[in-house]
Amino acid sequence: MSLQYHVRLAPGDVAPAVLLPGDPGRVEVVASMWDEARHVSSNREYVTFTGTYRGVPISCTSTGIGSPSTAIALEELARVGATTFVRIGTCGSLQERVRVGAVAILDSAIRADGTSSLYAPVEFPAVAHHQVVDAALEAARELGVPHHLGTTFSTDLFYVPEAGSAFGGYEQSAWRERYADVAGTNALAAEMEAGVLMVLSRIWGLRGGAIALVADVAEAKSESGAFDPEATFDVSEEPIERLARIGCETVRILAERDRMRRA
Amino acid sequence: MSLQYHLKLSPGDVAPYVLLPGDPGRVPLVASLWDESREVASNREYVTFTGTYRGVPISCTSTGIGCPSTAIAMEELARVGATTFVRIGTCGTFQDRVRPGDIAIFDSAARYDGTSALYAPVEFPAVADHDVVEAAIAAGRELGFPFHVGTTRTSDAFYARHPRPGSSFDGYWQSTWRDHFEDLKRMNVIAAEMEASVILVLARIWGLRAGGIAVVLDNVLEVSGETGRFDPQEQFEHGGDEIERLARMGSEVVRILAEQDAAA
Repeated sequence: MSLQYHVRLAPGDVAPAVLLPGDPGRVEVVASMWDEARHVSSNREYVTFTGTYRGVPISCTSTGIGSPSTAIALEELARVGATTFVRIGTCGSLQERVRVGAVAILDSAIRADGTSSLYAPVEFPAVAHHQVVDAALEAARELGVPHHLGTTFSTDLFYVPEAGSAFGGYEQSAWRERYADVAGTNALAAEMEAGVLMVLSRIWGLRGGAIALVADVAEAKSESGAFDPEATFDVSEEPIERLARIGCETVRILAERDRMRRA
Repeated sequence: MSLQYHLKLSPGDVAPYVLLPGDPGRVPLVASLWDESREVASNREYVTFTGTYRGVPISCTSTGIGCPSTAIAMEELARVGATTFVRIGTCGTFQDRVRPGDIAIFDSAARYDGTSALYAPVEFPAVADHDVVEAAIAAGRELGFPFHVGTTRTSDAFYARHPRPGSSFDGYWQSTWRDHFEDLKRMNVIAAEMEASVILVLARIWGLRAGGIAVVLDNVLEVSGETGRFDPQEQFEHGGDEIERLARMGSEVVRILAEQDAAA
């Protein structure tokens, strides 16, 4: 097993801990915070940088949007030596108390995706590794970032078939109360990758977790009443940098604690 | 909302922290480890003791076997003021590294039960509260017990789904059972028991805290061996010692949580 087909990485190209944004354009932003970084590969939606952050080896690989491309990234990263996966992405909020600009630390996911159930039946829990959760909480506290801990709704749809969201007003009755029902289960966020990341990490005995910046309130509508992410999402530079910083600090805290455990 | 129909408990009868064994016979045993305790109710499979453990208010309520009776216990306990639920039970394993006598700390559960799906769709994760998981790890370390942190498989059947005929009465068997435990082993699930998923799901949807610890009694892939014969009365390790260790660890989990809560 040497060069990986999609991510174009070979053993030695990545650190044991990998940050996983969706957007290939964000990898460089993340790496710009490190002590030093080099671009190790670029292919399709997969861009990888490797370097050190405050003395700790670290990598960042983009997954593209959605669970199918994320599963490919995880399969190939694990083959070249990655053992800890920390998703850093954006999400919509499902709860009033979770405000735009806050960070959601995701300890578990509702598995409304197609990919993860091809690996393990849907009864199997999508759960983050407790050490990753604990390190993320510590990082957020240390950086003074408002944060929430809870479950995310990981779905394969961005434009859902409910009023004003899917093209042409396409609607399905099953979606009419879906978000309200999900919010009723106390889930706090909606995004598109955490479920498969947690399931795959768990079945392989590796560590996975996810941190997401709240970019909008799910079901937010622009003035026309339509769903228009370009108008309503806040993905400006400053909050994205905050997200990247928490991700890097999470990796650093994990590495420090690993060292203490081994000592 | 005063006296609860099944548990026969009213507000004030239980502490915010409740230990949940399955067996009503184990409740007095758990309470015997406390500074002081009193029996507050006994009805059907539900026995409740309340007291203090190392200065911390604590309760213990039996749930009976299985998710339906456990959901009733959770619903009624939450109504009378319980906010933190710690299951203490027994389990089987299918992992070679997990040995009888070890403790399994459940951070999550695979939802092979019927009750939890009536509350939230099966895609929803049965996940323990992070504070409870960390407190259980701290308690396990402090007491020096061998423990493992991971996922349990919660199911509604005790005598079903073994790999060979012999677990269900009179050799009844289904081909879909053949790989059930081996598949779970490959998914890295560490335990099998019958209540955790509904406890974790209900606590999560209500915004309350829950977790679970269990002492391992057998390896389900080894116990029935080549013959498939499954007789828990003969085959399970069931010293009083293991149950006392479990009760001690559960009580310590509550103490650690209460101390952290007081500091917060």
